[in-house]
Amino acid sequence: MTVGREGHSQVGSGAATRVEAEPSAGSAIRISNVTKSFGAPGHGPTVLRTIDLTVRENEFVSLVGRSGCGKTTLLNIIAGLERPTSGTVEIHGRAVRGPGQGQGVVFQQHALFPWMTALRNVVFGFRDASLSKSDKQERARELLQLVGLSAAADKYPREMSGGMQQRVAIARALALDPEILLMDEPFGALDELTRIELQQELLRIWEARKKTVVFVTHSINEALALSDRVILLAPHPGRIERDLAIDLPRPRLRTDPRFIALHEEIWKGLSS
Amino acid sequence: MRGRLVLQYAVSAAVIVGAIALWELGVKTGYLKAYQFPPASRIAEGFVEIATTGFPTGITIWSHVLTTVTRILQGYLAALALAIPVGLVIGAFPLVNKMLEPVIVFCRSIATLSLLPLVIVWFGAGELTKVILIAYGCFWVMLSNVIAAVVYVDPVLIRAGRSFGLKGVALYREVVLPAALPRMFAGARMALGVGFMVIVGAEMIGTIEGLGALIMEARTFYRSEITIIGMLVIGVLGFVISTGLAALERVLLPWGATGEGARA
Repeated sequence: MTVGREGHSQVGSGAATRVEAEPSAGSAIRISNVTKSFGAPGHGPTVLRTIDLTVRENEFVSLVGRSGCGKTTLLNIIAGLERPTSGTVEIHGRAVRGPGQGQGVVFQQHALFPWMTALRNVVFGFRDASLSKSDKQERARELLQLVGLSAAADKYPREMSGGMQQRVAIARALALDPEILLMDEPFGALDELTRIELQQELLRIWEARKKTVVFVTHSINEALALSDRVILLAPHPGRIERDLAIDLPRPRLRTDPRFIALHEEIWKGLSS
Repeated sequence: MRGRLVLQYAVSAAVIVGAIALWELGVKTGYLKAYQFPPASRIAEGFVEIATTGFPTGITIWSHVLTTVTRILQGYLAALALAIPVGLVIGAFPLVNKMLEPVIVFCRSIATLSLLPLVIVWFGAGELTKVILIAYGCFWVMLSNVIAAVVYVDPVLIRAGRSFGLKGVALYREVVLPAALPRMFAGARMALGVGFMVIVGAEMIGTIEGLGALIMEARTFYRSEITIIGMLVIGVLGFVISTGLAALERVLLPWGATGEGARA
């Protein structure tokens, strides 16, 4: 837990308290001194500067910030889809060299393979060559059931609503049985009701499956509804501004005064 | 709602019938010359003649069609067989694509029929020349569409594939290729259209068989109604084959991308 020592915060109500942990014990993701710039070193824009962040096992962490604060880039770096310019990312102590090291990714939208049915999209997620085809199908059906889509197994993505598509995307990411679930504004394109529904689904799955989740969003409400911790990123260059522990019992009510106080706190952090 | 639709069709039909009747009347009264504007009755007579005795005598419309379709298919299939693998390889390597792009645009821009004299010098005025011209026209259209299909695969799909640890050939085979299929299909449809455009010109030299030859022969004898029949048959053929391909696409790619945005 080396993040944002200066940004460390305590809300008056005591709702946000810092949960201290030993640096080595149970840390799922450890990001050390990560910088990302595009173009030639020292010339291109710096998207992320000296990011230090440790995420504990089974923790639900949200990255919140304005556009351009590098939250998606940070997620992609954890996913192994992009390389940092300098610094290291470790997952359970192993340096991240690429995708497929225990990260599962859910993208914003339209990332399902349109030529595959819901079932086949999930089957695709099982990369383990030792599994037989029927094993994969059986497990894929279980995952579809987990996300409440058993009936839609044979539908193509274009035949599904945005909410259904994102449920399939979650099931597909879970097929890898990832230690870490990385989600890049997965509900950002959904209408409000579907969005809240999927947030509840996600919490249910997270509690059932015990995953570490890093969740990118620009919705403060969403971050507060879901997370154990909210990381505020500031733009130009992207850096960690605040690190807030959200110590509210779930399910969380938006009308809870502590929820409102935290919302205010984050709002101020983002607009400063 | 249904009544309105029927009315719509009735009006369309009435307009067409009216135009044909006016045309017929125009020729009867002498305002239009029959060899310039052959009326529907002449065209119908011509069709009976060409379907039975043939034009030139002995070659019926059916054998003209068969000859033309055979030539188009030979050139078209040869073009696809070459363009698909070559395009898939070029599209896989951005650098190669960049280097070859000007050449491809250049070759695609040459009007195929302008090559006719040169191809005749190289290969004579026989069957081969016609097939090669069709193949040339189809090839470049198909090639640029295959390349574009691969290059413009939605990057989100590629990132999704990569997030499951896929890379290299496996990524290409499992994600890029299926994602590129709709546009490749659209390219194939367009290439066939080019084949139909090229064939008429290609058949105007060195043959008396085929729809292009039919049109040329008819011109020589001022049989304008035969020319029009040739045009109509080409139109119908193109329409039938294009509809067939669209149906094939729905069967082969049931997930419903329509392959919009292909380019000629």
